[in-house]
Amino acid sequence: MKWLDIKKAGTLAAALLLSTASFAQDKVTDSIAALDSDKVAVTDSVTVAVKDYRSGWGKLIPKYIKLQYAGSMGFMSLGGGYDYGVNRQWETDIFFGFLPHYSTAKNKITLTLKQNYIPWKTDINDRFMIELLTTGLYINTIFDDEFWISEPDKYPNGYYSFSTRIRFNAFVGQRLTYKLKPESHKFLKSVTAFYEVSTNDVYVLSAFNNSYLKPKDYLVLSLGVKLQMF
Amino acid sequence: MLKKLPFLLVALLVSLTGCDMFDSHPYDGQITGDTNINAKNISRIEQATAGKTTIKFAWMGDSQRYYDETEEFVKKINERTDLDFVIHGGDLTDFGATEEFMWMRDIMNGLKLPYVALIGNHDCLANGEEIFRTIYGEENFSFMAGNIKFVCLNTNALEFDYSHPIPDFNYLEQELNSQPQQQEKTIFAMHVRPYSEQFNNNVAWVFQDVIKRFPGLQFCVNAHDHRLQVDDLFNDGVIYYGSENMEKRSYLVFTVTPDNNYTYEVVRY
Repeated sequence: MKWLDIKKAGTLAAALLLSTASFAQDKVTDSIAALDSDKVAVTDSVTVAVKDYRSGWGKLIPKYIKLQYAGSMGFMSLGGGYDYGVNRQWETDIFFGFLPHYSTAKNKITLTLKQNYIPWKTDINDRFMIELLTTGLYINTIFDDEFWISEPDKYPNGYYSFSTRIRFNAFVGQRLTYKLKPESHKFLKSVTAFYEVSTNDVYVLSAFNNSYLKPKDYLVLSLGVKLQMF
Repeated sequence: MLKKLPFLLVALLVSLTGCDMFDSHPYDGQITGDTNINAKNISRIEQATAGKTTIKFAWMGDSQRYYDETEEFVKKINERTDLDFVIHGGDLTDFGATEEFMWMRDIMNGLKLPYVALIGNHDCLANGEEIFRTIYGEENFSFMAGNIKFVCLNTNALEFDYSHPIPDFNYLEQELNSQPQQQEKTIFAMHVRPYSEQFNNNVAWVFQDVIKRFPGLQFCVNAHDHRLQVDDLFNDGVIYYGSENMEKRSYLVFTVTPDNNYTYEVVRY
C-alpha cells in the first residue's frame, strides 16, 4: 500500500516536472525565436550571463591585499578585503595577525575584522592619489586558551565586566596611492602606503580619569601597505 | 627633492619603528625596561635591615588604574625617612594588560626605598601572571628584614585550577623547613585573605594551621577588599590587616619592635 503511494507520488512529481520543463522550454524557444532575427543580441546576452555568473564567484576574491604592522592587532597582519560604494569609500577587511611570544610562553594568532571609511580621494596627478582621512573601527580576537570572551562560570556574576579576548579599536589615518599603468601590470592596479593612529577599549579606560597617562601611552601607531588587484 | 623622497621615507620609517607607540597587542607581553624587580629589591632590603630588630614598612595595594593617586603615594613615601621598605599587595593592573604593568612599574620604581610587589587577581587575567613573573619574579617569595621573615603568597585561587595549587602548600612546607638563623618572627603577606571569594576556602583553616607553625607569627596583611580591615578571622589571635585601595589615598605603616610587639597606623594623604 505504502509502496504504491510512493510510486504514485513519484509519477505525479515527474509529470509535474516534465510539464514545467516543457513550459520553460517553450518560453526559451519563444525568446530565441523572437531574437532569431538579431543574433548579436543573443550572443551578447549569453556573454553577459556568463560574465555575471563568473563575477558572482569572482566576488569572493578579495579586491585588495593589505599588510599591516602593529596597530594592537598583531606584530604583523596579513589580510584582504572588499571596497564598495559609489566612490569606493567603504572597505571591509579581514586580517590574520602574528603575535610573537615575547616574554610569554606561546606565539599567538589574532583575527581582525576591520571596517574603513574613506570620505575623500584627491588626485595629485595621473599617478598619485592621496586620501586625507581614513577612519574606522576594528574588532580583534586572540587565539589562546588563556583568554575568554566572557568570564567563565566559576566567577560570581559580573566579577570582571570585560572580555580579555575581544578588543574594540578605533582609528584615523592617511594614505598615499600610486596607480600603476594598466598595460604593465595585469593583476596589480595600485599600491597604497598608509599609517594609522588607533586606540582600544582597554587603553581608553586606562587613560580616563588620570593625568599620568599621556597620548603617547594610550595611542597606537601602525603602518601598512595595500595592493589593489581589482 | 623628489629623488630624495624615498630615502627620507625609509629613514622616517626606521626611526618610527624604534618608537614605543607601535603596539603589537595590549596583551603582547612585550616588556621594555626594568625586570626581575623583587629579587633586586630583596637584596637591597636584606642588606639595609641586616641586624636590625625594629622594622618599619608601608603596606599598600590595589593601585589598578589609579595612576595619579599612586604617583602621589610615591611622592609622600619619598618624603619620609623612617621607613625600611614598601610592599605592594597586588592588583597592579585592572585588565592584566602588558602596558598596565609597565605604567605601574614606572611609577613604583620612583620610590627611593626598595619595594616588592605581590600578584593580585587582576594581575592574573589573560597572560598577566606571565608578565608579572618577568617584571617582578616568582608569585610566591620570601625575604628577611632584620629578624623577620616576610612570606609573600599568591592566594588568588579562583584565577587558577587544581593543576596550579593556591595557596601552594609545597612552597609553605619548603619555607617552614628553611629558617635562617636570624629568623625570630614571621609576617604573611597576601593579596586575598581567607574566606574571600578568591581564596581556596576548602583549605582556609588548614592554611591558618600551617602559617601558625612558623616562628613568632606576628600578623597577616592583605589587600583586595579595598577597605580597611582589622579582623581576627579565626578567633585565634592572628590579626589580618586589610588596606584600602589607592583611590582612597591611604596606606598602612607597621612598626615591629624588639619587645615582641608591633603597632600599625593608617596614613591618609
